[in-house]
Amino acid sequence: MTDRARIDEPGGERGTYVYGIVRTDRARLPEGLVGLDGTQVRLVEHQRVAAAVGDIALDRPPGRRADLVAYTKVLDTLAEAGPVVPVRFGSVVPDDDVVVTDLLAPRVDRFDELLSSLEGQAQFNLRASYHEAGILQEVVAENREIAELRERTRERDPDSVRPQLVRLGELVAQAIEGKRDHDAVFILDQVRPLVAAEVIRAGKGVEQVFDASFLVEDDRRAEFEELLESLAEGVHERMGLQLTGPLPPYDFVGSDAWD
Amino acid sequence: MTVTSSQQRGGGYLSRPAPSGLADVIEIILDKGIVIDAYVRVSLIGIEILTIDARIVIASVDTYLRFAEATNRLDLYEKGGKDLPEMIEGITESGASGKTSGALKGVKKAISGGSSDDDDDARPAKKSASRSRRSQGS
Repeated sequence: MTDRARIDEPGGERGTYVYGIVRTDRARLPEGLVGLDGTQVRLVEHQRVAAAVGDIALDRPPGRRADLVAYTKVLDTLAEAGPVVPVRFGSVVPDDDVVVTDLLAPRVDRFDELLSSLEGQAQFNLRASYHEAGILQEVVAENREIAELRERTRERDPDSVRPQLVRLGELVAQAIEGKRDHDAVFILDQVRPLVAAEVIRAGKGVEQVFDASFLVEDDRRAEFEELLESLAEGVHERMGLQLTGPLPPYDFVGSDAWD
Repeated sequence: MTVTSSQQRGGGYLSRPAPSGLADVIEIILDKGIVIDAYVRVSLIGIEILTIDARIVIASVDTYLRFAEATNRLDLYEKGGKDLPEMIEGITESGASGKTSGALKGVKKAISGGSSDDDDDARPAKKSASRSRRSQGS
């Protein structure tokens, strides 16, 4: 182990990478499923629950984008077979025994309960964003103070009008915030009846209206997707809606409660 | 409803990216999922770097200046400036390199001091903090 950089160097220390928790009776790993570094994914079972894990070299260069992609692929695959509780990206424990003694055994009931509650559901992420030029035009047109400050500052050296620029930006931010709240409510009120749970994050920057995760039951998925199609059509001149999913329930397993 | 379009229905106004591109998944998966007790796990691979850099916090004055700048360049506007995902991808590439390579070390030792506690501080504009609730159906 003198040379520490190489992956899979024979003799290097190995650990167990943990992807997620599944129910033992529902766990089906497709032949040849591989995860980080192309290592095989296998199950470590304990009574009703099992962890999907793989081997990993402890001295590998960490956190590459390929790792993130490999992790999501494994979880996507697990989610196709049945409910899965994702374990936070990058979780490595010393060996398989620790998976049983420290992760699974103390929480069989909690995992079992959580997995049952996630049965037949998938996560979708919805992001609504304004078209930047459009929303700024709205704001300038609707607010006289903004329009005036803009006229007074736009052809000037920014350093010479910095206080006015800060004020302009503050007013624009406030104006967009007001629109954002209104537009978010308009969309979310229509989506809510179709979802089992939600996590809403406030929009960031100029364009983002909101970023939300929804837990959607499989038999309402078609209706949910149709609704969003028609909502997207309805708002498309001002906003773009982006829907990602189905995904494993990353936002609905209560991350920090388990620490 | 503000239906302003007379174009075809279900005509693909809803963007459905394949959730395989990193820019699309990074915000979705980072910091999500259950956390294994710190004393048990060897480490969270490189996650600190990815997390911190992907959520650049901009002080409010700088945010305002950016808003002002965007407003003032309205006329010159050409659409197509999708800078955030590109930025995240760039960061991710670099976050992967050297910086964290010391992170995987002693067994039964948590290297990542505070990786899971203070992520929330890094979120700008978090006024209606992530709230979660069960909805009461239709």
